[in-house]
Amino acid sequence: MLVIFSAGFAQNPDCACFVKGIVRDQHSGQPIIGATVLLSGTTNGVFTDEKGRYEIRNLCPGNYKLEVRIVGYIAHKESLDLTAGHEENFDLEEQEVHLKDVEITAHRTDAPSSQPLEILTGSALEKTRGQSLGESLKGITGVTTMQTGSSISKPVIHGLHSNRVLIMNNGVRQEGQQWGSEHAPEIDPFVATRMSVIKGAAGVRYGSDAIGGVILVEPEELPFDKAISGEVNLVGFTNGRQGVASSTLQGGIKGVSGFGWRAQGTIKRGGNIRTPNYFLDNTGISEKNFSLGAGYRNKGFGIDLFYSRFDTKIGIFSGSHIGSVTDLLNVIKNGEPFVKSGFTYNIGRPNQNVTHDLIKAEAHYHFNDGNRLQWTIAQQINNRNEYDLHVPRNDSIASLNRPELTFKLNTLTNDVIWDHKPIAGKITGQVGVSSLYQYNLMSGRPLIPNFNQFNIGIFWIERYVKNNWEFEAGARYDYRTLSTHRIVSRQKVSNDFTFSNASGTVGATRNFSQKLSARLNAGSAWRAPNVSELFSDGVHHGAAAFERGDSTLRPEKAINTIASVKYQSEKLTIEIGGYFNYIRDFIYLKPQPDPILTVRGAFPYFKYTQTDANFKGVDVSADWEFIKNLTLTSKLSYLRAYDTRNDNYLVMIPSNRWDNQMKCTIPEFGKWHNLFVSAGNLWVARQKRVPPNSDFLPPPAAYSLWNIQAGGTIHLSEKQQLEIGISVTNLFNTIYRDYMNRFRYYSDDIGRNASLRIKWKFGA
Amino acid sequence: MIMSRKLTWMLLIGVATLFTQCKDSGDEVEADDENELITSVTLTFTEVGTGTVTKFEYKDPDGDGGNTPTKFDTISLKANASYTLTPEFLDESKTPVENITEEIKEKDFEHLLIYTPTPASLLTYTYGDKDANNFPVGLTGTAKAGAAGTGKLKVQLRHQPNAKNGTATPGSDDVNLDFNLVVK
Repeated sequence: MLVIFSAGFAQNPDCACFVKGIVRDQHSGQPIIGATVLLSGTTNGVFTDEKGRYEIRNLCPGNYKLEVRIVGYIAHKESLDLTAGHEENFDLEEQEVHLKDVEITAHRTDAPSSQPLEILTGSALEKTRGQSLGESLKGITGVTTMQTGSSISKPVIHGLHSNRVLIMNNGVRQEGQQWGSEHAPEIDPFVATRMSVIKGAAGVRYGSDAIGGVILVEPEELPFDKAISGEVNLVGFTNGRQGVASSTLQGGIKGVSGFGWRAQGTIKRGGNIRTPNYFLDNTGISEKNFSLGAGYRNKGFGIDLFYSRFDTKIGIFSGSHIGSVTDLLNVIKNGEPFVKSGFTYNIGRPNQNVTHDLIKAEAHYHFNDGNRLQWTIAQQINNRNEYDLHVPRNDSIASLNRPELTFKLNTLTNDVIWDHKPIAGKITGQVGVSSLYQYNLMSGRPLIPNFNQFNIGIFWIERYVKNNWEFEAGARYDYRTLSTHRIVSRQKVSNDFTFSNASGTVGATRNFSQKLSARLNAGSAWRAPNVSELFSDGVHHGAAAFERGDSTLRPEKAINTIASVKYQSEKLTIEIGGYFNYIRDFIYLKPQPDPILTVRGAFPYFKYTQTDANFKGVDVSADWEFIKNLTLTSKLSYLRAYDTRNDNYLVMIPSNRWDNQMKCTIPEFGKWHNLFVSAGNLWVARQKRVPPNSDFLPPPAAYSLWNIQAGGTIHLSEKQQLEIGISVTNLFNTIYRDYMNRFRYYSDDIGRNASLRIKWKFGA
Repeated sequence: MIMSRKLTWMLLIGVATLFTQCKDSGDEVEADDENELITSVTLTFTEVGTGTVTKFEYKDPDGDGGNTPTKFDTISLKANASYTLTPEFLDESKTPVENITEEIKEKDFEHLLIYTPTPASLLTYTYGDKDANNFPVGLTGTAKAGAAGTGKLKVQLRHQPNAKNGTATPGSDDVNLDFNLVVK
């Protein structure tokens, strides 16, 4: 992709700078229509028009990174210095020569453009460093978490989670044991330099499971032919006395053109978490991750190899192990856990030990006529070991110290995508085939069966851009087979299933003016029932519930309509989005009238059942710089979910929340740059809409948490800089419990937590 | 077109790898013989004096889920009679059948049996054994029936590793059964 910039600067010291230019195809020289041009770290972005032109106005003087992305093209980043007061027009030829040297990875942002895409990058992402993936995304409107204590957290988009949220890790769909509420995504956030959330059903492009939304975890493109550079991140948290160290080293190869490589690693160690009044026994964490990447570019051809390993050991709060309903009722009655503890880094039983390996190869070729072909093959090996609280009574078995549950999931994915050359300079699109082959081996306490799964999907998406309109439409067909094998009464029982589904999407974007734009998208997605929904049969000890699967379940299908309006001016940005997600054959655990008797007593009986549900809500976010350098940011997430077939509410729906931050920035102060101080409040409402008599404990009360943050950057030299940040969450050590935290039955949520972040960047 | 040839090769390798990964997970499915279940609980009441033995059972041979328990007896005792009560725990899902009682006996310092009648007047239980730390266990004891009446007898096996202190609070239930109790 060839990008031609011309940057103009007005003399006005206030924010009247602008950037404009044309985006063209490197091979054909044709203008590229509908490319997203945005300033990194902000939500300030525009689309190119039918002549490939774009313009971003009302920029304050400063350093910017301009990013250009479009379906099927390599993303391009360019540093801009808008501090100089003179006009600077790049020469077209020169720029072309210059840009040829800047090699960039294939970095596909193929999110439907008419669907809300929220991006966490730059300083917004830096603030979340050291936290888990789920926690990092919490700041995005409409995104919440489902937790098992404070160390296991899963992202929730518009009320949907687990198998209803798809995570694309470096272009590959993440395949772990997502069905489990205590199975967090096996991804090290330090791998990513940007994390994006596509809200709403996006099944056409991404296939099965993208019902609630898609999370894109993307590393920066490899530094082809660049000098060695890197960064070291150190983060310390007071709560859990947790330390995180992560570093990256990257560069090209001197004397050999077209190469780039990167090595990255993270170590995390934390001990027992403290609530305002007591420690939680056995809540330590240990994590060791690393990734390696290398790539080669030559003219239109490119190949990238990537390997990453995620290795974690997480202690599970020992007070959350219950044997019977009586146990649970006793701890609820007690108001705090019976198990008392001090601080320790030791991780005992119960715990989970998970490794996730991903190996990926991606190759692409740009044909001279504008066509582009890309092929990605990836293998993932997910190895999950869960250790129960009690070792077996039999000493000879106990001495083996084997996990009581072992899951080995092996997944091979192949994606071939063809981006066709633009038709009449107005229509762009892509056609793709995706396949997935997967097998699961399970040993220990019977929970889910062994299975083999095969999925193939084909899709086709086209976009048409005219004047200030942009239209988009796509369709997809998926076919899946599943064979399961399990032991019933010491006999092997096998079952075969086939599922198929067609999905579609239509959308439109309208730019009314430079400031005002609107988007509308209707998309569908599907999800085949997973093995736990088909075959569960036993007590879920965390929930004190007897859960039974149903092998006759059909796939669930979502039709999601999502509309948003965005107003963006110099001082004020407001985005309002509304959605209506209708899910037919929504799979949930339905309470049954009679309990199930076991040797540990009678447990409430829940059966996986299908119903029709709708999830409707509003996301509002606003940034208002009401006084120079003083900005108020407000985010509101409102959601209502309803079971329309049974005329009832649904369980485990996140409650509504309102997040406010006041931030004061000081662009320059002595040696410091981008200094800021901020204070904020998060208010979370009580979940009032729950089905009657569905739970042992009513949803917890509303809560309000305060936080403060400060940070800045020092330039040590031309090529070295130090970024420092401090923050305190739950500033007043407020006692609270969250409805979406499974430990709300047993204990309070995490208390005050102060952190210090240091990032040293060197080279390029 | 060198590039096209490269690409063709890559596609061929890709298609090949697509089908080489076929492992049949059904070949590796095996019964779990390490995790312990308690599938049957037998309460043996031996009348003091006469030596008459009566047994009452709870039986769920396939463990939690699957088939419903096959047996859940009503305990029937003579009013004002004294009995020696010995419980037995088995895992009958394994071959040979595993005797969990033995393992409880070996690890008596982390187990506690609790017998709770409702109403309390139906039965009085006195522990007849102690672990190394002088805390009761409940693998043997005396149950004295009260006046005639009906109610329940809750039998709990508390698993209390590193936490046993003689009270019911620490640990979690390994058994929690409410037998119907008739004293006549």
